Amino acid sequence: MIKIEHVSKSYGDIKAVDDVSLKIDDGEIFGIVGYSGAGKSTLLRTINQLEKVDEGVIDIDGVDITKLDIKALREKRRKIGMIFQHFDLLWSKTVLDNIAFPLELIKVDKETRREKAKEVAKRVGLEDKLDVYPSTLSGGQKQRVAIARALISEPNILLSDEATSALDPKTTDDILELLKKINKEYQITIVLITHQMEVVQKICHRLAVMADGKVIEDGRVDDIFKDPKQDLTKKLIQTVDTGLDVEKMAIDLKAKYPEGHLLRLTFDQKSSGEPILYEVGNKLHIPFNIVSANIKNTQVGPLGVMYIHIEKRHDIAKIIEELQKDEVKVEVI
Amino acid sequence: MFFEPFIETIYLTIVPLLFSCVFGFIIGTLIFIGTSSILERKSKPITIISKICDGLVNILRSIPYLILIVWMLPITNFLTGSVIGTKAAVPALVVSATPFFARMVTIAFSEVDHGVIEASKAMGASTFDIITKVLIPESKPALVSSITVTAINLVSYSAMAGAIGAGGLGFEAYQYGLARRDESLMFIATILIVIIVFAIQIIGDKTVKKLDKRGG
Repeated sequence: MIKIEHVSKSYGDIKAVDDVSLKIDDGEIFGIVGYSGAGKSTLLRTINQLEKVDEGVIDIDGVDITKLDIKALREKRRKIGMIFQHFDLLWSKTVLDNIAFPLELIKVDKETRREKAKEVAKRVGLEDKLDVYPSTLSGGQKQRVAIARALISEPNILLSDEATSALDPKTTDDILELLKKINKEYQITIVLITHQMEVVQKICHRLAVMADGKVIEDGRVDDIFKDPKQDLTKKLIQTVDTGLDVEKMAIDLKAKYPEGHLLRLTFDQKSSGEPILYEVGNKLHIPFNIVSANIKNTQVGPLGVMYIHIEKRHDIAKIIEELQKDEVKVEVI
Repeated sequence: MFFEPFIETIYLTIVPLLFSCVFGFIIGTLIFIGTSSILERKSKPITIISKICDGLVNILRSIPYLILIVWMLPITNFLTGSVIGTKAAVPALVVSATPFFARMVTIAFSEVDHGVIEASKAMGASTFDIITKVLIPESKPALVSSITVTAINLVSYSAMAGAIGAGGLGFEAYQYGLARRDESLMFIATILIVIIVFAIQIIGDKTVKKLDKRGG
């Protein structure tokens, strides 16, 4: 378990990280989101002490790593893999030697480390690229090399610094799938930072939203997507839901259906598995019209947003009550 | 007629180059360790040594070569047992080329992608690991280019070493051309220098191309 307690870090007058406390459980994928400059990158780097903290404790499996001397810290870092936005491979080494590099650092002999590197390369789908140099690879392949390089030391923790931000959407999905697979198969805790809410929605179990060096909201992905508390979180989520702006969607629909009631329903993994709308509609004998719907699958289950239109003559108080009973979040637009 | 000066020029290039590369590499690395913000744990002595090296490089680089020769006469005498001749020109050439090469080494290292250094630190690399396993391999093309430029500088410096009787093609060209007004001989000597410079540059460029796997 990673326990971040009251961590602060300043650069001159700027507080990059301001009294942040977070707990990250073993085996989970934890996302830290926020716009650039929010301090998420600095926070991530305190976990392997690439950034020293001014104050606070970073406890990894019972050891406060801010107190380790440089030798013990290097030892610890070997069990914390890290991948980066720009991959950061050595251009002077072949794919195989890049993957084997962490073992070269601890003086594993060439044969052994190459054998091991081949194994890891297979796991990330690079077995046919071993002898080429990174410059000939695509972005997605480079990130796979970086992931293999991180995995070769058999880490318990993988830190991901905007690992998909330089990739196209299709490649992003492939890399996210790979991270998900690694997390499941090897029980590696993944801490990732991103400005893409989609990444969080696709692979994270829990998330924290950062702004101005502070964590302004954190919790399970489904809870936060269903019911974001902070404006910034809402804004970030809106970029994912439909790919469209939810508020704009509401305005557009309102213009289209000026008469009657327009409701926005948000489902989580419990409610989206049930034929709730059908049941409620039948029970109350209220006909409704679905005018827009979108359901996405996340790590913790499906999440959906739906807009329904009900004619003016019906009483919507009852329908809202019934839906809320079934844990559907209802908003009248 | 040109064989002896030709050999002298080669000697005055290669021998000082070897010394300058070794000393310059060490000094350049020390300066980099002391000044780079990306490396961890700098012990106090290293920082001080690095600062001294940095200052020394600046001072030595600003002294004109001819003056350096004169100032270094006692040292040259101590090292080579003589103040004139080809061998006696070597210490001053080394002293003038070393700071130049040291500066080039520092630049080559600081141009290595910081992300790669950071990634290596994240993998548990020590400063020594970073220098030997990251900085040197990743800056190889730049280092070879620096050796090439330093070698060419030495070819032109060696012409001035003629002033203390070091010989070489440059001095030959000066003697025939200016002193004896034999322009055709001066021309031949100059052409030979040009050929040496081209040869060094071509070998350097070819090596860089072979080492550079960055593509594109």
